[in-house]
Amino acid sequence: MAPPPGFHLLLLLLLLVLLLPPGPAAGLQALGEAAEMAAGLRAGLPELELELELPGLELPELPELEPPELEPECRRLLAAFAEGSAALSGCLARRARPVRLCQACRGQYRSLLGRYRDIARALGNSSESHNCAKSILTSDRLQIVVTLSEFFNETWETANCANCLKNNSEGLSNSTVEFLDLFNKSLTCFEHNLQGQAVDVSPNNYTEVCKNCNGTYKMLNDLYNNLQKLNRHGSESGHSAHLCIDVEDAMNITRKLWSRTFNCSVPCSDTVPVIAVSSFILFLPVVFYLSSFLHSKQKKRILILPKRIQSNASLVNIQEKYS
Amino acid sequence: MRVAQNSPQTPALCNCAASDKPEKGEPAFPEALAAAAPSRHRPGPRLQSNFTPSSLLRTGQLSNVDLNEDVRELETELPRPYPNEIPHNEKLLSLKYESLDYDNSENQLFLEEERRINHAAFRTVEIKRWVICAMIGILTGLVACFIDIVVENLAGLKYRVVKDNIDKFTEKGGLSFSLLLWATLNASVVMVGSVIVAFIEPVAAGSGIPQIKCYLNGVKIPHVVRLKTLVIKVCGVILSVVGGLAVGKEGPMIHSGAVIAAGISQGRSTSLKRDFKIFEYFRRDTEKRDFVSAGAAAGVSAAFGAPVGGVLFSLEEGASFWNQFLTWRIFFASMISTFTLNSVLSVYHGNAWDLSSPGLINFGRFDNEKMGYTIQEIPIFIFMGVVGGILGALFNALNYWLTMFRIRYIHRPCLQVIEAMLVAAVTAAVGFVMIYCSRDCQPIQGSTVAYPLQLFCADGEYNSMATAFFNTPEKSVVNLFHDPPGSYNPMTLGMFTLMYFFLACWTYGLTVSAGVFIPSLLIGAAWGRLFGISLSYLTKGSIWADPGKYALMGAAAQLGGIVRMTLSLTVIMMEATGNVTYGFPIMLVLMTAKIVGDYFVEGLYDMHIQLQSVPFLHWEAPVTSHSLTAREVMSTPVTCLRRIERVGTVVDILSDTSSNHNGFPVVESNPDTTQVAGLRGLILRSQLIVLLKHKVFVERANLSLVQRRLKLKDFRDAYPRFPPIQSIHVSQDERECMIDLSEFMNPSPYTVPQEASLPRVFKLFRALGLRHLVVVDNRNEVVGMVTRKDLARYRLGKEGLEELSLAQT
Repeated sequence: MAPPPGFHLLLLLLLLVLLLPPGPAAGLQALGEAAEMAAGLRAGLPELELELELPGLELPELPELEPPELEPECRRLLAAFAEGSAALSGCLARRARPVRLCQACRGQYRSLLGRYRDIARALGNSSESHNCAKSILTSDRLQIVVTLSEFFNETWETANCANCLKNNSEGLSNSTVEFLDLFNKSLTCFEHNLQGQAVDVSPNNYTEVCKNCNGTYKMLNDLYNNLQKLNRHGSESGHSAHLCIDVEDAMNITRKLWSRTFNCSVPCSDTVPVIAVSSFILFLPVVFYLSSFLHSKQKKRILILPKRIQSNASLVNIQEKYS
Repeated sequence: MRVAQNSPQTPALCNCAASDKPEKGEPAFPEALAAAAPSRHRPGPRLQSNFTPSSLLRTGQLSNVDLNEDVRELETELPRPYPNEIPHNEKLLSLKYESLDYDNSENQLFLEEERRINHAAFRTVEIKRWVICAMIGILTGLVACFIDIVVENLAGLKYRVVKDNIDKFTEKGGLSFSLLLWATLNASVVMVGSVIVAFIEPVAAGSGIPQIKCYLNGVKIPHVVRLKTLVIKVCGVILSVVGGLAVGKEGPMIHSGAVIAAGISQGRSTSLKRDFKIFEYFRRDTEKRDFVSAGAAAGVSAAFGAPVGGVLFSLEEGASFWNQFLTWRIFFASMISTFTLNSVLSVYHGNAWDLSSPGLINFGRFDNEKMGYTIQEIPIFIFMGVVGGILGALFNALNYWLTMFRIRYIHRPCLQVIEAMLVAAVTAAVGFVMIYCSRDCQPIQGSTVAYPLQLFCADGEYNSMATAFFNTPEKSVVNLFHDPPGSYNPMTLGMFTLMYFFLACWTYGLTVSAGVFIPSLLIGAAWGRLFGISLSYLTKGSIWADPGKYALMGAAAQLGGIVRMTLSLTVIMMEATGNVTYGFPIMLVLMTAKIVGDYFVEGLYDMHIQLQSVPFLHWEAPVTSHSLTAREVMSTPVTCLRRIERVGTVVDILSDTSSNHNGFPVVESNPDTTQVAGLRGLILRSQLIVLLKHKVFVERANLSLVQRRLKLKDFRDAYPRFPPIQSIHVSQDERECMIDLSEFMNPSPYTVPQEASLPRVFKLFRALGLRHLVVVDNRNEVVGMVTRKDLARYRLGKEGLEELSLAQT
């Protein structure tokens, strides 16, 4: 499953921002930024969903002559759908960065789903409501309601929100809650340590953070890896087993902070032994070929002369060849 | 002057006696040959002195001796063109290989059987053919599934172990241990794979495509279609892919399919000593070879999910014996094979009856609109074809020298095993160093990497070099085709192409069973993608320069440049990508690659066939060979049998180690010396052995009237492993009996006059699948015999027509 192209771009941009070399002068600023970012992340998280009742989305009560196509019942259903989709799209856009789609918008999504179902369900029932579904869903070329609902469904699928919700999508699943708790904890830790360090002059010195938050970060990382592993086992097909976007994004940001901004994960590179071992291995074939060239007896073939009339032509051939 | 010496002898050449006096009749064979097989049972000098050759034969001998002495004289005159022992080179033909008997022997037994079997029974035979084809398809598909699943699991296990190890040591330090672990794992897995091939069944080495090509061409490669070979091949390919060598599992599928076909069509296994008493009608070379072509097609079809490509592969490689019904049956087998693979893999992957994973390698779908191509790109594709041709030629040339070195110096099995192990270890080391040095990190999010190695990348990122090296080659190919633009940076791709090119070249020809398709595709895909990236860089990111598309074209070009297949490869690539619109550019690319590559060296498979000294008949005789006539091409004198022959003579001829002839012209056994001994028929060694075994002697027939008449079934039961003559005991009394061959010989063998040109003879051989062609004079007397080795030795070399020499290998 290739991710949508925009996603990569976004990530790259983000990376770029984070990669900007924090020079000595900009050091403090970078530090501040990081702290702010951490704080912002945290702040964005536990907020309750805002139910936005947007006014003015009621069908305009126009007295003008409208063909009596829609039953009042249908009109009501359509209005409800319109309201729901507006609420959902507002929520999605607002929670785009940092990604909190699944946590924040699941209510809206569910209610929209219900409203769409209300319209569509009528398809099979009584003749009256049949009319309703038909006239809303299939009676024109554009079929805007279907398109909208497809778009929302697809977004939900791509974000893989079902993965971090309970089965009936009532609330967040236990593992997700656990993960988010830990995530909060590590962000708090970052924030805390950064504040304590803010007076420090050297900009790249995040040793305090690295030391103090290492445990939390490791736990978070391990939990994430475990979730991934479980997920991969759950879905047989192996690839494209993503976690839900909220969790992925949260982890992504934390990891970036940790290893890019704070520069905490410094792997030990042991170049000398690696070079030694690999050159030893690379040297073996040379020895092997040389020794087999020198010591192995060359394979000889025994020639056999065919029983043949040695004619003029073939003799000429042979003589040409050996002259 | 020499013409004058030779020509008077030709008419007097009576041909039918050489074998009566082996010690004089064949002086051309060096003593070294006899010494090479001293343990062989010989009747001994006492028996030979028992002979009293008839007066007719005596005259024949005289003229023979004259001729031979003449030859000897010529030989000494020449500046010793043939040393006795020479190092192996490409201009040899091995005596090890024999022809298949594609030509039906229409003797009396055959006619009787045909009369006995009524029309309905022939219809059953036809139905049986279809049943066999279906079984070939099913079994080939199952074998492909087995290989696929086992490789997936074992390789997955290996990569997980190594990845965990690397992850662990990245934190703590000590990555050299990971390197050692990886190298040791690879080397030990490959060691097992190499040991079974080198010590149990050496013919299972390599991709098997050259061998199957030879088989379809009509050469009997010893052991090539045995059950044991299949088992070794399947295990070997699993082990070498798991061992991380730069190999693929697709080529061996073709060989496996062929073995399955040969086994099923015979209804028994001589290795297991089981005879199921079915399909006895098909126990001869003609039928078996048809089924083998179906099996090869089924193998291709299972390997690439390309049923039509499979049929065309068989057509391209064995097309000289082809008919419409056979094609249709082969297509049936191919389809069944793909279908079986599909169904089983769909069940394995948990979505039963979703038949969308057709083939061991699935190139994935190219149906993005970005993947379309326009007319401006055609020259670019052709240029890629040129590059592919040049790189392919380079690959082949390097592999040629390497193979020559291997044949000459690394011929002991233990050396071969060590070599394979070293290659495996070096492959791991190179991969590790490349990954270690690479600083190309890509975000892990949204990517489909199976084993993301972090190494020195930041958390949440993976090393992009590792996706190419730290994976089975098939997966890497698909990644290169389909990963979105920007997944690899040019430096990574460049280094990867370079290293993998040499690794793959080094690996092909090792004593492990492994194919070259996937490594070629991988090299091509890597430089193709690199090409695409640089193109989009040059054109400032035009929409049409999608690197995935160029990766596909590069893969096609590289593969075409190495193996030089045309029609079948185009269709295979088309079917494997599931995209018909790419047919045209792929065809152009392959065509260019072949033309450019052929300018330098020949294709990899042909090269290996030649290095194995196989008497392979190409499509046409060399173009400048019309001046050669059958008289110069043929072998002479010919060992003939009389229609009613003494058993002792037959036994002596058959057990003569210096001449392992397989076909003997049968001449009139007229005691009257004034009449010429005209050609009456042709009898094969295998038939003679069966006759001797059943003791079908004239005297015995007179003695016991109740003796069972020999049927065609007796010959089929002995097929394909006829006992050697040494195992047949003939008593002293029986030696004096007479044997009547007229019932068993093929009464109408193909003959040509002495003046027939080489291309004419060649055409007969190639089109009819002959094994023996008798050369007669205008009185229907046998003058000489043309066999496959006589024709295959003429080759168009760098400076005109060349002649290969025969050698014992």
